[in-house]
Amino acid sequence: MNLGEIIFLITILATLGGAAMAVLSGSIVYAMMGLVTTMFGIAGLYVYLNSPFLAMMQILIYVGAVSVLIAFAIMLIGPLYRKPKEWTTVGKFVAALGVALVSLFMFVRFVMETFPRVGNSSFKITTKEIGRLFFNNLVLPFELISLLVVVAILGAIMLALFSRGNK
Amino acid sequence: MTDLIYNNQHIYLFVALFLLFLGIAGVVYRRTLIGMLVSMELIMNGAGLNLVALNRFVSPENGYGVAFTLIIMGIAAAEAAIALGIIMLIFKKYKHIEGGDLKEMKD
Repeated sequence: MNLGEIIFLITILATLGGAAMAVLSGSIVYAMMGLVTTMFGIAGLYVYLNSPFLAMMQILIYVGAVSVLIAFAIMLIGPLYRKPKEWTTVGKFVAALGVALVSLFMFVRFVMETFPRVGNSSFKITTKEIGRLFFNNLVLPFELISLLVVVAILGAIMLALFSRGNK
Repeated sequence: MTDLIYNNQHIYLFVALFLLFLGIAGVVYRRTLIGMLVSMELIMNGAGLNLVALNRFVSPENGYGVAFTLIIMGIAAAEAAIALGIIMLIFKKYKHIEGGDLKEMKD
């Protein structure tokens, strides 16, 4: 086992541990920290999948934008530690575990039936190829994404204005 | 060369599957709306990891999986912005953000 494999295993452990922390921790701030850990771990997995541009985008968008947005929402909503008693109930935990285990066992069969492949090291998608793909073959999804982002910005502004008017 | 552990398809698929499992469990288990949103981000990250892994191992000659993962990132960012705006409005109206107590969404 060389150094790359050890770092790979550490990355996977960080990803799964962060995800478990994001789901199971009692405080919502710890959940956000677990989400950030998971994002960094997935960026490392993208590097191992020979896509460094995607890893950079992952860190830039998720860690830089979405997590900061969630952190600001937590800070604006205020103290969430006032009701620590009813945060976790046993029945709800059992129900969540049941629902998730059904989906897990349903998809484990699909994963086990896929042919185990071993990648060659010639896979390399450069940024130039991604740009050409977006502007040649995927023009319609690209434009729809721009439209969706514009609608989201306008919707967020309208929500903020309405809340100020109602107060 | 083919013996390396990170050159194997199933590891990435199982990591993505575990992210999906934890995300579904979190959507049901979490009480607050922000916790549910965090779990949905986990599900979307699992989907992106799945797409990139299948692109790298099954069809390495084009980059559709990478492109669609970028599209998923854009969708997740827009969704998080809108959802957090709605959560702020719910907090201003009800003074809490617990999902189980929201009986009505009208004015």
